Amino acid sequence: MIFDSSIVTSVFGQFAPIAPMIVLIIGALVMPAVFFATKRRGAVTGVAMAVILISILFNVLMLADGYQGEYAGLFAYDAFSGVMILLFQAVIFLTALVSVSSSETTRMHYGAYNSLLLAAAVGMMFVATASDLITIFLGIELASITSYVLVAMKRSDPRAAEAAVKYVIIGGLSTALTLYGLSMLYGVAGTTNIADIAAALSTQGFSWAFGIAMITMIAGFGFKIAAVPFHAWAPDVYEGAATPVSMFLGTGSKKVGFVALFKIFLVIFVAANATASFATEEMQYIFAIIAAITMTVGNVVAISQTNIKRMLAYSSIAQAGYILIVMAVMTEYALASGMFHMFTHVFMKGGAFLVVGALITVGIGEKISDYRGLAKRAPFIAFAMTVFLFALAGIPPLAGFTSKLFLFSSAIYDNGVMTQWIWLAFIAILNSAISLYYYTRVVKAMYIEKGDTAERIRIPKTFAAAIAISFVFVIVLGVFPQLIMDFCADAASALFG
Amino acid sequence: MFFELPFEIPYLLTLLLVVPLVGAMATLAMGGERQKYAKYTAGVFSGITMVLSMVLLFTPDLSVYNESHTWIETAGLRMSYILTVDGLSILMVFLTGLLVFLSTVFSAREKDKPHYFFALLLAMEVGLMGVYTAADYFLFYIMWEVTLIPMYFLISWFGGPRRHYAAIKFFIYTHVASLVMLIGIFAIVFGAASGGVADFSFEAVLAGSAVFGSTFQILVFGLLFFGFAVKMPIVPFHTWLPDAHVEAPTAGSVLLAGVMLKMGSYGIIRVCLEVLPEGAQYWQPIMIFIGILAMIYGAYACIAQKDLKKMVAFSSISHMGMVMISIACLSSIGIQFAIFQMFAHGLISAVLFMVCGMAGHSIGTREIPLLGGIAGKMPVFAAFMMFGFMASLGLPGLVGFWAEFGIIFSFYDYAVSVDMIWLIALCLLSLLLTAGYYLWAMQRTLFGRLTNKIDLSHIHDVSRPEAIALGVICALIALYGLWPDLALSYIDGYASSLAASLGVI
Repeated sequence: MIFDSSIVTSVFGQFAPIAPMIVLIIGALVMPAVFFATKRRGAVTGVAMAVILISILFNVLMLADGYQGEYAGLFAYDAFSGVMILLFQAVIFLTALVSVSSSETTRMHYGAYNSLLLAAAVGMMFVATASDLITIFLGIELASITSYVLVAMKRSDPRAAEAAVKYVIIGGLSTALTLYGLSMLYGVAGTTNIADIAAALSTQGFSWAFGIAMITMIAGFGFKIAAVPFHAWAPDVYEGAATPVSMFLGTGSKKVGFVALFKIFLVIFVAANATASFATEEMQYIFAIIAAITMTVGNVVAISQTNIKRMLAYSSIAQAGYILIVMAVMTEYALASGMFHMFTHVFMKGGAFLVVGALITVGIGEKISDYRGLAKRAPFIAFAMTVFLFALAGIPPLAGFTSKLFLFSSAIYDNGVMTQWIWLAFIAILNSAISLYYYTRVVKAMYIEKGDTAERIRIPKTFAAAIAISFVFVIVLGVFPQLIMDFCADAASALFG
Repeated sequence: MFFELPFEIPYLLTLLLVVPLVGAMATLAMGGERQKYAKYTAGVFSGITMVLSMVLLFTPDLSVYNESHTWIETAGLRMSYILTVDGLSILMVFLTGLLVFLSTVFSAREKDKPHYFFALLLAMEVGLMGVYTAADYFLFYIMWEVTLIPMYFLISWFGGPRRHYAAIKFFIYTHVASLVMLIGIFAIVFGAASGGVADFSFEAVLAGSAVFGSTFQILVFGLLFFGFAVKMPIVPFHTWLPDAHVEAPTAGSVLLAGVMLKMGSYGIIRVCLEVLPEGAQYWQPIMIFIGILAMIYGAYACIAQKDLKKMVAFSSISHMGMVMISIACLSSIGIQFAIFQMFAHGLISAVLFMVCGMAGHSIGTREIPLLGGIAGKMPVFAAFMMFGFMASLGLPGLVGFWAEFGIIFSFYDYAVSVDMIWLIALCLLSLLLTAGYYLWAMQRTLFGRLTNKIDLSHIHDVSRPEAIALGVICALIALYGLWPDLALSYIDGYASSLAASLGVI
């Protein structure tokens, strides 16, 4: 067997379930020292890449081998954690790769920057492996607090300071709400272990305290995933932060909220609904309405944006709306499709942010009008950007089309029966039509409008490499979705038990 | 069949997709210094594709070329890579191969970024071939969308002065229509699915379609019909077409009118009629109404046009209206001649748009009021234009006559069966108008006193590549006009079996 997890278990022993994180924690700790010793950004990036690649290797070995294990009742590694960890690793890999040559990170303490980046990724992975409310909360906090600093680190731009303050305040509010919900949940169930909570609740049925816990948690996680009406911070933060950080937040940080939602809500409701009369349907409707509003608001507001980072932020909000379909439908297949969409989103949206970051580095602005005539100046970059944007809009045969097809179809059809969420799929498809309009505007600016200059652009090599990686994944995952989708199906069945 | 090929080409249908795709990439590589080779590269690849598509015409049993592989299989969905050709698609595949090659020949003089231009034509060929050969809704939808993007860039890079507006209008209209169609496809695929897995293949959907209730059929027919009919196009969702045609480069117009509009009627027959027969019965009067409206409105609009190309664009709307009423008869003859008219109009509209394109760049204007007496200056051009116009208005002996004859014939049956014989009068009115606007346009542009409103000092007659392209199509128009059975024999079996499944003979 090519994939053998025994190497991980023999090195890490009982810590094997959190091995991918341990590697990154060590990396995060040595990063400032590396920078202090060498004073070279390249060296720091080299070490960071090495650490991330080792972590990816461990995770792939464990995931492909079907490894399962738990540590201290706090962490449990299964297919679901493995897939989500892989997603966060992809995000951190792309971010660390391009940060070194981005002009927006030049004035930062680069050792600290990388250290924080890795720490944030560790927090995200904690959430993915957590089997207890406490570890979920710790993971979210670790990811959030490091993210606040990452946003604020772009000291050259006053907008970054504003963004960081907004982010801290909103983030604090969201944390408070989440914590409130979690403690109510503990009060109702009498335990913090998620599986035990599900078991406990299935015998006692619905109570008002439980309802309040759910509502406050929806609000708390709603801020994290930037669902309407908790979304207003996202465009400001994405605009103010250094572009690699924006990408990190837009593709990675947001998914943390989803992972927590999946872990807590799906497990509780699916487990509980089988045995007791429960407010599952009401909860599904709440999520369905939030999903519909989120995708519509995101797409409609994106139309009027002139700053491309803000436009991408609103498009992220819309994408969050699509992923929320999973919470409305609450089936295993929907979860698998949603996870697959989260994966393709990393490369589509990440790729678009990478192009924006690369262009900022070579001195092109953030306005859509700055992209005029780009196809002549940088044909490959313009083509890659077109592919990323068309993928986001859901043009076949790109990754976004396939993942949206899976996701929307899960709202129509489940295991031989039509679901009651057809209307939601309908709204989502209409939204895809709207979204095409604003994505096409960028393509139009690049290909059709005349620019002021025809001077060729050369972007830094690390950006080119990261864009190429994303490009390949957007096309390959569109044509051969099963490369990832099969893992997502395993992951979904692991979570549903 | 008067001649049968003694051999088979393995993976022929895949080759129809792969050859143009490779050709598009090869042509794209002919940038910079190598620009002058772009047209030869494109010519070779589109030529090979055309020959491959002609192989099908001489194959007695088309099912030998069926290909089927499972592509994506998840817990809930199965998509396959299935390619087939049957009586409905064979002429469309041939038409696509023919017209892409001939528009490449016709555009041989393209100077501005020829490698992009020809690569886009070949990229579009991939999508068109895919639409006509796909037998899986997933593949079909992908190919349907693949045709959009090259056309968008053809219009917006190589088009006329208002090209940006026209391109974006074309893109948004047709993309919104495709999304509505996608919803319809979801409905039939998931509605027909039995057991856990929804299979996207045509075969599985057709097999599962027995469970569709009438209400379901009527609703879903509406969705799919809208999606396809915007492409055809139907009044009142036709306004993208004249804009797109007027701004598109000649080769783009040829493919747009010649093969892309047919995607709409192809979809209606292939999906709406095959899968939703009850829906078709319910929608029959509405389709007839829409078809007649398109015929008459299109013809009236033609009379008012000053731009030659816009006139031809509206005439396309009128002729696609004929296809619509012919389909809507839901009879064996109606379907047969609808397909025949799709083929005939593909050939004729290619001539018409090529002629308009030449008027634009040889004379310098397509404005009818500015022209006059051109026949004396450009005799060959005038001959082709007259031939095209005559073919389009249905002159006996040319291919358009048989198509119109069959359509009127089947429509007469329908009109008698619903006791509204006067409907025939509307149909004939549109034929009358068609003859009127063509003859009037010809009179104003070709004959009479030589115009003095434009500078005629540097106009030149038809160039050799243009003459070759036009000559070949005109020869085919005459050939199929004299011997319509050459094309009808392919359609016959398909049309009668579809009509039988619709419950009418």
